[in-house]
Amino acid sequence: MAPFDITYVFSFFPKLLSTLGVTLLIVAGSIGLGLVVGLVVALPRLYQVPVLQRLSQLYISFVRGTPILIQLFLFYYGLPELVRSFGVDISRYPVLDFVIVTYGLNSGAFFSEAIRASVTAVDRGQVEAAHAIGMTGYQAFSRIVLPQALTIAVPVFANLVIALLKDTSLAFSLGVMELTGKAQSLGTITQHFTEAYISLAFIYLAISLTLEKLFTLWERRLSHDERSDAPLPVGFLGRKAAYRKLRAGLGLEKAGTGV
Amino acid sequence: MIQLSGITKSFGRHAVLKGIDLMVHSGEVVVILGPSGSGKTTLLRCINYLEHPDAGSITIGADTVDCRRASKREIHQLRQKTAMVFQHYNLFRHKTALENVMEGLVVVKKWPKAEARQRSVELLELVGLGDKLDAYPSRLSGGQQQRVGIARALALNPEIILFDEPTSALDPELVGEVLAVIRAIAEQGITMLIVTHEMGFAREVAQRVVFMDEGVIVEEGAPGQLFTNPREERTRQFLQRLTYGMADAWTGAGR
Amino acid sequence: MSIDVSFILNAFVQLLFSVPTTLLITGVSVLCGFVIGMAIALVRIFSVPVLSSIAIWYVTFIRGTPMLVHLLLIYNGLPLLIDGLSHRLGWGFKSAAIPVIDFVCLSFSITASAYLSEVIRSGLLAIDRGQMEAALSIGMTKPQALRRVVLPQALAASIPNFSNTVIGMLHGSTLAFTVPVVEVMAKAQIVASTNWKFLESYLAAAVIFWGITVLIETSAGLLERRVNLYNRGGVA
Repeated sequence: MAPFDITYVFSFFPKLLSTLGVTLLIVAGSIGLGLVVGLVVALPRLYQVPVLQRLSQLYISFVRGTPILIQLFLFYYGLPELVRSFGVDISRYPVLDFVIVTYGLNSGAFFSEAIRASVTAVDRGQVEAAHAIGMTGYQAFSRIVLPQALTIAVPVFANLVIALLKDTSLAFSLGVMELTGKAQSLGTITQHFTEAYISLAFIYLAISLTLEKLFTLWERRLSHDERSDAPLPVGFLGRKAAYRKLRAGLGLEKAGTGV
Repeated sequence: MIQLSGITKSFGRHAVLKGIDLMVHSGEVVVILGPSGSGKTTLLRCINYLEHPDAGSITIGADTVDCRRASKREIHQLRQKTAMVFQHYNLFRHKTALENVMEGLVVVKKWPKAEARQRSVELLELVGLGDKLDAYPSRLSGGQQQRVGIARALALNPEIILFDEPTSALDPELVGEVLAVIRAIAEQGITMLIVTHEMGFAREVAQRVVFMDEGVIVEEGAPGQLFTNPREERTRQFLQRLTYGMADAWTGAGR
Repeated sequence: MSIDVSFILNAFVQLLFSVPTTLLITGVSVLCGFVIGMAIALVRIFSVPVLSSIAIWYVTFIRGTPMLVHLLLIYNGLPLLIDGLSHRLGWGFKSAAIPVIDFVCLSFSITASAYLSEVIRSGLLAIDRGQMEAALSIGMTKPQALRRVVLPQALAASIPNFSNTVIGMLHGSTLAFTVPVVEVMAKAQIVASTNWKFLESYLAAAVIFWGITVLIETSAGLLERRVNLYNRGGVA
């Protein structure tokens, strides 16, 4: 390995950024798919549909119970084998498709938990009040429950998206040339691995911080009418705001780390 | 005996205490009255050093602490000589009634467990909770929790017990049991400084009443004199408002 | 080719031998992470000058970057640093003498410390300020109050978040496959490619992780119920 040379850190930035699109594409694609999956998985549990509810639970338990890396390999190597027995050949599909579908299915489980938690967190009295002034069930949901649930969901959602971003670093293991894959190949070519990974770290950090900022802005816009919100327990040092944010951040975090 | 002189305290630009001088004799029960925001709770918290006064001095017994340069050690000693009963009880949520009372004896006073236990049981019996020794705070009513809080304060055998609106968080029907306990220990000659809005109770139990407003002591005197014939206009207005307020509350409750 | 069910069992048994490595990596990183995380949480809660701003940056950096990047940085960068120092100071010591698993544990401890510090901090912030005051009012010192009153409640309150982080670290330990350490994931890769049975091997690995996860979740649930006995409401 070549000795450390800080100039490489800077020269690697533009090279790494050329693959930023791939990383963001994986993130965006997985969020899109994940939201649809999440809603579909959440509904049976929200409405307590007998058998489907069990299936949802099983799905969520499996996704939360196994590492994303294994899900990725299971899908990429396993699915083609599985469908081949039905006479379908998908082994030539682009890797990126497998990656996005895996991340989509993965985040779907977490989104469904977030959706369920936010909806159940809305006070029952809100629905009753909506019914009392003559709203239909649909009106009550879309006009009263959903906007409030969204406010609760945004911080959790923010965390899931940032966790997803960090998870995309695993796609390199299937040979996808996203940020991490690019950093590794730059390291191999120049033998300046450490410098490549330092650049890489700062790029991830910048994206994470940007995403966090955007979500905070969004949250503030949504909750403009709740500034004098119901009393949260004023913490050990009386820092209500900090506690609120922290609690939201930890609540449904992707089993903690979101590697 | 405890003596405060020249206690001042500001939060940011807002001066909450503007030089308080107050003397409480051993065995005396003093009640502090005043509108909300007058600084009475802050004064109490300063005596226990839960708030650090900006200036002034606190004398308890033979020891004087200069608030401007109180050391950690001095603060610690001061706290051991005082005890506080909180508005929201603040019982240790993860400990039973008995453990709450024992905690100070075992950890601070380093009593052997068996002795601490015996003393704590006695105190809980004194406040009428001999049958709730092993109950956690979440299983006790507000009145019961506050009585445990009083027992916890008594356990340390402090020179003075500070009561910060001990009944204001309680449902009306539970106020009586707590006041009865305070009355009972007042009769045992324990020094007390009480912030309360219970006028009837103040009149009955206090030897002296202090009226505070906007960070200063406006006047003080025997309850009979202060309630029936206040010298200061501010005191008169406050007492009037309080009486009318009560009347309103009564008619409100009657409807 | 369809699923070879009997091979799943076969792979499962082979993978079991690597479970200790996975558990070791997870256990060490959670333990060390907890100690560092506790220090960070306390520094931040008490706003210790200088240290608390360093702590904020540290936590932001670690939480803002993937765990994989931490591993790659430590595994590639630390030897450079050690060998450079060793060369300059004439220690005659080579980083190659350090077992790879030590780098893995160090890196994951750093990751865990940032996440656990947030878990502990949120637990501390959830504790009512009055608890601390009550402890001080009966004459406890600040460390006594923290140790006997605030921390026990804070830790009890953070059991669910704590178990989530442990699970996260368990799953994250699979990243060690990128360096020469044979834990369950790396073993699954070996079993898969030597037998050309990918689906079966990864299924077996999935089952192992799923099982350990459910075990952690269940025991955390039991622990929480036991520890939080005092919080059960209802006036007697």
